Amino acid sequence: MRRYLLRRALHAIPVVFGVVTVVFLLVHLLPGDPVEILLGESAVPAQKEELRRELRLDRPVLVQYADFLSGLPRGDLGTSIRSREPVLREIRRRFPATLLLGATSIGVAILVAVPLGIVAATRKGRPADYLSGLASMVSLSIPNFCLAPLLILLFSVHLPLLPVGGSGTARHLVLPAATLGTGMAALLTRMVRASLLEELGKEYVTAAAARGLSRGEAIVRHALRNALVPVVTVLGLSFGAVLAGSVITETIFSWPGVGRLLVQAIDARDYPLVQGCVLVIALCTVAVNLATDILCARLDPRIRYE
Amino acid sequence: MTAGASIPRRLRRAALLAVLLFPACTQKLPIDEGRLVIALPGTPVSLDPRVATDAYGEQILQMTHASLVRRDAAGNPVPDLAERWETPDPRTYVFRLRPGLRFHDGRPLTSADVRYTFEWILDPSNRSPHRALYRHVTSVGTPDDRTVFFRLAEPFAPFLSTAVRGIVPAGSRSAAYAPPPGAGPYRVDGVSPDGEAVLSAFDGYHGGIPAIRSVTVKFLPDSNVRFLELSAGSVNFALNGIDPDLLPAAEKTGRLAVEEGAGGNVTYLGFNLRDRALSDPRVRRAVAAAIDRQAIVRAIWKGRADLAESILPPGSWAADPGIPPFRFDPALARRLLDESGYPDPDGDGPLPRLRLTYKTSQNELRRRVAAAIQEQLRQVGIAVEVQSLEWGTFFSDVRKGNFQLYSLTWVGISDPDIFHHAFHSASVPPDGANRGGYSDPEVDRMTTAARREPSPSLRREMYRRVQGILARDLPVFPLWAGRNVLVRDRRLAGFAITPDESYSPVTSMRILPAAPAAGPGAAR
Repeated sequence: MRRYLLRRALHAIPVVFGVVTVVFLLVHLLPGDPVEILLGESAVPAQKEELRRELRLDRPVLVQYADFLSGLPRGDLGTSIRSREPVLREIRRRFPATLLLGATSIGVAILVAVPLGIVAATRKGRPADYLSGLASMVSLSIPNFCLAPLLILLFSVHLPLLPVGGSGTARHLVLPAATLGTGMAALLTRMVRASLLEELGKEYVTAAAARGLSRGEAIVRHALRNALVPVVTVLGLSFGAVLAGSVITETIFSWPGVGRLLVQAIDARDYPLVQGCVLVIALCTVAVNLATDILCARLDPRIRYE
Repeated sequence: MTAGASIPRRLRRAALLAVLLFPACTQKLPIDEGRLVIALPGTPVSLDPRVATDAYGEQILQMTHASLVRRDAAGNPVPDLAERWETPDPRTYVFRLRPGLRFHDGRPLTSADVRYTFEWILDPSNRSPHRALYRHVTSVGTPDDRTVFFRLAEPFAPFLSTAVRGIVPAGSRSAAYAPPPGAGPYRVDGVSPDGEAVLSAFDGYHGGIPAIRSVTVKFLPDSNVRFLELSAGSVNFALNGIDPDLLPAAEKTGRLAVEEGAGGNVTYLGFNLRDRALSDPRVRRAVAAAIDRQAIVRAIWKGRADLAESILPPGSWAADPGIPPFRFDPALARRLLDESGYPDPDGDGPLPRLRLTYKTSQNELRRRVAAAIQEQLRQVGIAVEVQSLEWGTFFSDVRKGNFQLYSLTWVGISDPDIFHHAFHSASVPPDGANRGGYSDPEVDRMTTAARREPSPSLRREMYRRVQGILARDLPVFPLWAGRNVLVRDRRLAGFAITPDESYSPVTSMRILPAAPAAGPGAAR
């Protein structure tokens, strides 16, 4: 197990390195000068050069890249051009909010998807199955930037039950989590249904019934456990989508997370902050995928730590 | 049978739901708690007046930090912390402070604080983005606690307009989201960079105690969300930033009122005068004559903009009301194109006389304007390719002169010295905003002389001549000044909209008592 973890961690290094390199180059290729955005047009050229020197933006891109890489082992992601605060401090301040939103939306998705998937699988070809399929298709088809205003319109304007945006209480979390979780819930529902249907056709389920287990027990204790392996894999892969979706969702709901910070950083051409945000998102995705693999191995002993 | 079992299951569920939702339904709106909640379309980069450059930061600072002078609706400087000022010679400005001034933390505000604020900005080690604005200042003196004077290296008439800068206590450190105390009508109680700024009334304000005691400024980048927050009542004040298409819906809510006032931000079409076709003034005039500004204002702005004939705000003291308005005249446009060597190659056929590229940002309103201009120019035989670019890319291209046509808006113009910044031949980026590369010796001479001229009437005369030349040469085509549109709760009163979108009038606002049945939302 330990060797497996170590090997997976080593595999993750080139992935993270690749992501960071591509983002570094892309951000620096973007037109737009952070110094000009920061100082405005009225600043004299000497002043701009001074700031460019101070921010080390006057050095060749490769030197800046080497600087960035050499700071990583020390946890030094540089200093934000916009706020002049350490990037790590800026991200640390907002990361818990993103984590909370991501975890809640995944939790909501699981709570909705597993029962719905079971119902759809056990009532295959009946109205409940068709309804679940329709709901999944609609949910998958609506992008977050459309769903969010619709939810606000319904739950904050017409039925004034929930706040439109902001953070601080559990009520503030409901709409952004629902927005982020809806698409994932739809995908998971379909996965649970398909996977469970496959398991239900297998002999061990019939054998369990022959041993006198009720159908519900056979599903929950045997079929569902085996059906969850592909579901967990999809869940892990979806985490990246949740983080990507948080960029839009956090901006719409004024949620103080890393996604909104990333948008602000791109607008301000705040190179170190953009790199820092992307690095954190990449690390999270890699970590969740690793956790997914371990969980799958736990769920299915046939999967070895090889 | 237990009592619980005798209650139908559905009824139990409904009761549970009602209990859960009851606190939400009975929740008071901010207006009921006497709170003004303002929506700003973006997050301010800093709330320190010595370093803040963005519009959102400036708008909050208008409520929190008082300056030596402020501007009236026509852009004229009027007393704020200074009760009067004089210019004994064109290189010296002497300000006399009001007696008994105090900062939010109770410290007295004296001339030493004014001196400290400006010297901090001028100190290169502090890297204030405003340092260039005060490059003419050679020294700041404080003969006594209430007098401060500025000595300039050379006469610089726009200096007074640069004296609109929030004063902070001597020794204040700079931190983006922990602003130093000011002496404005509201103090900053807290700022969360991603959420909101919370302000409370300052009883020691020299202009009188504000009636509204608590103000929250929410940073809401999404235009639909701003509208939905207003509809829900969680925001009750938004000055601009609401899509014109949504304004009728806002009025229909019953709780919201929509008001408008003249705007001071002029949108214009910029020409690249280095381009072979556009270097000919006849082609520029042809483009201007082919654009039906009134139709665009009617269709896209829903009538909420006034046509502009100069880049100066229409109400500015230096604006020339005598400039003949640019007329929509497609026949003239075709004739001018013929004369300048761009005849119609195939009559009614599809081939254009001329192809141009028009760059704009990704703002939805601007994209629609670009599409309308594209269609109008097509009618006279000019094929326009519209490129809608992300803001940083777009602005970078404009600064580098990498465009043929582009459209931008001059925001917050308070002094006619903008003509030097935008049209003097030495003001080509990075030394100014002459992005199209315009050059005219008379404009150079007049704009240089006007910034050294202390007499406002003589300055006005010079700028009128400059405006006449610009109307003839058309280095940019002024389009319109969008009206400032305020969407507010009907119970809010006393806010006077100014052309420069100032938030200073928040001080004179008050909340009217709720009417017994004031429409939808009143019972919430």
